[in-house]
Amino acid sequence: MNQEKLLEVKNLKQYFKTGRHSVVKAVDGISFDIYKGETFGLVGESGCGKSTTGRSIIRLYDATDGQVKFAGEDVHGKKSKAKLKEFNQKMQMIFQDPYASLNPRMTVMDIIAEGLDIHGLVKNPKERKARVHDLLERVGLNKEHANRYPHEFSGGQRQRIGIARALAVDPEFIIADEPISALDVSIQAQVVNLLKELQKEHGYTYLFIAHDLSMVKYISDRIGVMYFGKMVELADSDELYKNPLHPYTKSLLSAIPLPDPDYERNRIRTEYNPADHDTSETPKFREVRPNHWVLCTTKEFEAYKKQVKN
Amino acid sequence: MENILEVNNLQVSFDTYGGEVQAVRGVSFNLKKGETLAIVGESGSGKSVTTRALARLIPSPPGRIKEGEILFDGKDLAKLSDKQMQAIRGKDISTIFQDPMTSLNPTMKIGTQIMEGLIKHQKMSKSQAKERTIELLELVGLPNPSERVDQYPHQFSGGQRQRIVIAIALACNPKILIADEPTTALDVTIQAQILELMKDIQKKTDSSIIFITHDLGVVANVADRVAVMYAGKIVEIGTADEIFYNPKHPYTWGLIGSMPTLDNTEESLVAIPGSPPDMLNPPKGDAFAPRNDFALEIDREMEPPMFKVSDTHYAATWLLHEYAPHVEPPEAVKRRMKGFASTGAASNGEGDQS
Repeated sequence: MNQEKLLEVKNLKQYFKTGRHSVVKAVDGISFDIYKGETFGLVGESGCGKSTTGRSIIRLYDATDGQVKFAGEDVHGKKSKAKLKEFNQKMQMIFQDPYASLNPRMTVMDIIAEGLDIHGLVKNPKERKARVHDLLERVGLNKEHANRYPHEFSGGQRQRIGIARALAVDPEFIIADEPISALDVSIQAQVVNLLKELQKEHGYTYLFIAHDLSMVKYISDRIGVMYFGKMVELADSDELYKNPLHPYTKSLLSAIPLPDPDYERNRIRTEYNPADHDTSETPKFREVRPNHWVLCTTKEFEAYKKQVKN
Repeated sequence: MENILEVNNLQVSFDTYGGEVQAVRGVSFNLKKGETLAIVGESGSGKSVTTRALARLIPSPPGRIKEGEILFDGKDLAKLSDKQMQAIRGKDISTIFQDPMTSLNPTMKIGTQIMEGLIKHQKMSKSQAKERTIELLELVGLPNPSERVDQYPHQFSGGQRQRIVIAIALACNPKILIADEPTTALDVTIQAQILELMKDIQKKTDSSIIFITHDLGVVANVADRVAVMYAGKIVEIGTADEIFYNPKHPYTWGLIGSMPTLDNTEESLVAIPGSPPDMLNPPKGDAFAPRNDFALEIDREMEPPMFKVSDTHYAATWLLHEYAPHVEPPEAVKRRMKGFASTGAASNGEGDQS
């Protein structure tokens, strides 16, 4: 794989003040890189900070601390309007809820073309129309849909409109925040296939955020597992599924129900108890084996290393 | 095993300004004592409406049970008055709703909410009801229940609230428990706990469960039998093994094919093209035909009847007719069926497997 780093996240922290003395550490010092052309999956249960991570990366929140570098440039911090615009064009987002993320008072044409207008990517109305029609076809809808309003579409179709909007400005990097969890099973497969095809054709880089592990495994090249604002394990997706090391990853994997009654009858679930860790030492993110990182103490690190060798 | 519930040709419609929406178009099935029947299908397939009709929770107007009977305990529930139904709902038939965040009353202590049914149906005194409530909370695995009965819903997490909702549903030892996507709003780890809890309770109380979900993984986990619904009808019904290892209906193939397996990433998923039909004007013939790669000429003309595959397995597709051409399920689905079988499952080749 191409090993050029497109996005570097270093020690990213995102805290929210919830009262005079209480702070929620939604994201608490995570670091990872995303390479050009790959799909990076981010999983964890609700409230673990995976969506916040995505939103901080695209600057929907101002990071409390840490650094996000996109193509070598810092994302956060002061920026001129022109710079910001340039950045916004390269990074786009697909939102979770296809019902809430499209303006009900705008036609599909205007929704998709909004980015084109802002960035001045089209010169005249004719070109604008042609671009929107092209985008609609790219995501599996057709030209006639351009003059309709969002309420005339089903959930799956709306998500396609959301995808077309993200693609309109020719981004390099797309953050997909639970793009399929609001959709039906049969439609989920359609949208995932579409995302994969688009990536093959145009070489997009994805950050795919979801809690459905089997879908994440299917679409991602590498996966990061988050737990309470921290990244606990990061590895190639096959490696993560075959050799999960962190007990939380293990419990998460053992909890996925698979469509196989016989497997389900014999499934043994492991439970994760955070108290099992040695708390005398602050755990660090360490590389147990090339490209396989785990949050662990020195003792656990040795144990994992031994485990990996066998 | 004896049937505890029998549903015959149930039809439910909603009268709207646009016309009559035929949400359920002739559903028949039975439920045995102590079993779990899972109903799967996409949103709009009529699975929730079917079970709401069983508990007579369809608001009328606009909804109405157009035809059919629901036989329970020698009575036809479809014909009972609201008053008579109130004596059954919550006592013999109770429902666990999908969203634990909205199905509890935020202004009432959780204890009071559980006690309501006990006082009404079991004619318990307040102190008796409270005692039983604490027992129930213990049963559903809520830590130190004697203190927590006096707390309000917002003081609990999502998983805990779903446990409370389950406690309410279980309060009067119902014979039938209807669970409408009870775990969809929860995380996988919590989901696994709730499913284990429900199975555990079923073993102890021997109640029957109707479990609605669209997650085939969950179905494989809980179900004894599975009914697949599409466009207001049951298109395939059979034991869990039959549905997963020997599915016959192309729609079931599509559902199984659209789930990613954990050991393959290369091939693309088998998506079902298009979207579900508009139930305001259900299509002529087989409602699934426009989305079905295996549709035959006749599918566009005539609706297929239920064909028998085995004593417990039926499917409504013309592909099972003796004159139909022999059609193999898509490769990906076959591989999955085989993959499942190789994990040690007993392959069940009854019926016309030719």
